[in-house]
Amino acid sequence: MTEHQVGTCAPIDISDDDIYEAMRDISGYLDITPGDFKDVYLKAFRHAVERLTRGIKAEQVMTKDVAFVVRETPLKEVARIMASRGISGVPVLESDSTVAGVISEKDFLAAMGAGVATRVMEVVAQCLGGKACLAAPSRAKSAEDIMNKPAVTVGRDTPVMEVADILIKNRINRVPVVDSEGRMVGIISRADVVRWSTLLEAV
Amino acid sequence: MSYFAKMKGTTKSPPAVNISEIVWSWMGAFLGISAVAYINFNLLEGTGLLLMVGSFGASAVLIYGAVKSPLAQPRNLVGGHVLAALIGVACYKVFHQHMWLAASVTVATVIAVMHVTKTLHPPAGATALIAVIGDDKIHGLGFTYALMPVGAGVTIMLLIALLFNNIPGTRRYPEFWI
Repeated sequence: MTEHQVGTCAPIDISDDDIYEAMRDISGYLDITPGDFKDVYLKAFRHAVERLTRGIKAEQVMTKDVAFVVRETPLKEVARIMASRGISGVPVLESDSTVAGVISEKDFLAAMGAGVATRVMEVVAQCLGGKACLAAPSRAKSAEDIMNKPAVTVGRDTPVMEVADILIKNRINRVPVVDSEGRMVGIISRADVVRWSTLLEAV
Repeated sequence: MSYFAKMKGTTKSPPAVNISEIVWSWMGAFLGISAVAYINFNLLEGTGLLLMVGSFGASAVLIYGAVKSPLAQPRNLVGGHVLAALIGVACYKVFHQHMWLAASVTVATVIAVMHVTKTLHPPAGATALIAVIGDDKIHGLGFTYALMPVGAGVTIMLLIALLFNNIPGTRRYPEFWI
């Protein structure tokens, strides 16, 4: 099994001196060096995190009532849905419910700007500066024109810790959860992961 | 890590124990070795029987001085010594015409067997070596060397360790049996 990089749950940075002091607190001769103990501690921490997270699957923390659009949905409609639902991203589905891509606020901004990630404030500044609205050229476009594809997805059984890693590594804020046929059954946002990890800490 | 960089070491040595631990260690070793030595030198005098071998001094370091160590647990103490004694006697019988080979094969094999059986106990390496390089009296014992002095001797040392190491509030023994 490859070593699972737990980027979202790093162990306390324990030093050799901390261990040395702890060993002094324990009466009797301990047949181990501080360095060895540190190795054991770090590995034990990873095992504990894996044990606590292996049981919790993506489908247990995902949001099931997911707003979605299709390839042909006009961007105006996509923006309206995102605004009314108060979400910063929305999946784009094919007719068979498989995930074609994902649209986030970032993609809108990129479409308005020179194609690279534009900041919200740049758009605001340009609008306030009296120039033509940057969004205007996007009027005729539809969801498939700006969506991020192919979409990163996770399975129902993917452990939440792995989902967290996927979010971080891909620099995305949400990931659709798909069944074995690739049909979307839910979505996990960073907020869902945070909610889950605070629950975990309460245990 | 490169070959030579490894030689610098990576961490610091463990802390020294406090004075009470030193006193308890001294008393444990005194009692354990006294028991075996008294039987060996006084009760068994003239019988031709032995109860003590040099490696018991090393075992005393572990079972009275480092009681938490995995190396000091009953499984390792008894298992290590008895296996080592058997291997030592066997190697002497097979290789005694080439003493250098008998000695090296013995110790190397003992380490391997102790690893396999999870009975690693460093003093047992000496027990095996004594079976090879010992005097005629040791050689004359044959495989009974594993029973007495070795088996009987470590059993007494273990008994003392059980009785003594559980007296101080700061000590307990063993950490595990099997």
